[in-house]
Amino acid sequence: MIRPLIDIQKVSKHYGQIRALSRVSFAIHKGEFVCLVGPSGAGKTTLIRLLTCEEKPTFGRILVGNRDIHLLPKREIPLYRRKIGVVFQDYKLLPTKTVYENVAYALEVSGEPTKVIKERVPKILELVGLSGRANNYPDELSGGEKQRTSLARALVHKPHILIADEPTGNLDPATSWEIINLLFQINKKGTTVLLATHDREIVNALRKRVVGLKGGKLIYDKKRGKYIV
Amino acid sequence: MISFWRVIKFGFQNFWRNPWLSLATVFTFALTLFVISIFFFLVLVTQTVTKAIEEKMDLVVYLQDEAKEAEILQLEEAIRNFPGVKSVKYISKEEAYEIWQAMPTSERIKQLVTPEKNPLPRSLQIKVEKPEILEEVSNYVSGAKWQPLIQEKGISYLRNKLIIQRLTNITKFVKKIGLILAIIFLAISILVIFNTVRLTIISRKDEIEIQRLVGAKNSFIQGPFLVEGVLYGFLATILSTFFIYLLLRYTSPLILQYLGEVSFDLKQFFTSNLFRIFVVQFLIGVFVGGLCSLVSVRKYLKI
Repeated sequence: MIRPLIDIQKVSKHYGQIRALSRVSFAIHKGEFVCLVGPSGAGKTTLIRLLTCEEKPTFGRILVGNRDIHLLPKREIPLYRRKIGVVFQDYKLLPTKTVYENVAYALEVSGEPTKVIKERVPKILELVGLSGRANNYPDELSGGEKQRTSLARALVHKPHILIADEPTGNLDPATSWEIINLLFQINKKGTTVLLATHDREIVNALRKRVVGLKGGKLIYDKKRGKYIV
Repeated sequence: MISFWRVIKFGFQNFWRNPWLSLATVFTFALTLFVISIFFFLVLVTQTVTKAIEEKMDLVVYLQDEAKEAEILQLEEAIRNFPGVKSVKYISKEEAYEIWQAMPTSERIKQLVTPEKNPLPRSLQIKVEKPEILEEVSNYVSGAKWQPLIQEKGISYLRNKLIIQRLTNITKFVKKIGLILAIIFLAISILVIFNTVRLTIISRKDEIEIQRLVGAKNSFIQGPFLVEGVLYGFLATILSTFFIYLLLRYTSPLILQYLGEVSFDLKQFFTSNLFRIFVVQFLIGVFVGGLCSLVSVRKYLKI
């Protein structure tokens, strides 16, 4: 059996009395497209914050590429984060940098040479359809454009895993589909995608694996699943 | 190495792309430096002036025309041996006449005195190490032993007693309190600068979080802030030195006039110390700016 890329083992996360996650276990294999669904407060964002190493689980562990990411020494956390790409509902773009610079930043942090940056950034901007907006600042962009910038930034360093936390949460349906289509294409090229969403229509149309959370518990996990939570 | 240049570039970028925030920070910083400098400057000037006044504070004893040379020599010797006395100078009638002629007064007044008809008394000019000695010396001189030699009301100290005592008190006060005040002031200023830089960074808390999530190392996040802090310090120094220059340029004639008797040239003092003032401010500014930004960013780098 092939080792999973992400292995979530009996993970619980407590915030004082609140149990955000209770003994959640599931695995994601390389190349999969997984929808993480559930109503607000189900624990989707908590799980993602654990995956990005912003928080540590109260119990259990998460293995990524067979390493427990919460046992990584502090200085290795940035290196781990460079291997994953994250897209957020609120885009999290740097307001004082242009679209181009925001995307380039993800490469600059890992010390990529300028030559590589000049080569890769325009390509990825073309992929997400933002070539014409390279020199605009985030507050000059529409919601969809911001999210595509965020997506470009998450992808430019060729991550193994793309994590998208409600990427369509602030977008209208048509724009949402543009983003989902991009995720779909990216997945076809081999990147593993974890999409957290509560958009029933999108999940049902995708017909991909669905993992359902409710009240911090895993209640559903099915290939070619539907939004049933 | 490439990261190093990027850090510098981002530092400047942060500065230029938040122009109002940066400008406000630089101005606050500059004003603080300016106030510190002016304060230190004042302490320095007061000390120099009081020193000059102390130097000037001498004692003149006017002698009776009838007093014999031998007796005067005796008195001179006695004063010279008095503890704390720096020097005693005898002014003869001829010398007094020359001094009179050299005084910046009108010819008519000068002509009141001629070598033949000279009412100016002989005198002893006494310089002391500390103003406190003045009183002791004058008490000694006005004792019964020397009284016949000395003119009535012929001891300058007794005439100026009140003003000398006041000046002495002020000098003492400045020396004692000046340093304490300077330290308190410096502490307050550093806190103000620290707070300004901190607020600038707090306003960019989200950016720091984003940078961390994209996988930036702490040094890569801190670096530009450090560059920015140093830049604040540098620009603030230039601005503050410029303020000082303007201030002194327009006020030094007034101060000079006021302190005229002390003959202390403030402007010259400033120009000869301009470079030093700049360097000290620059070091304080760059050090404080850099340190403050490092300390403030640190808070958001945990996890």
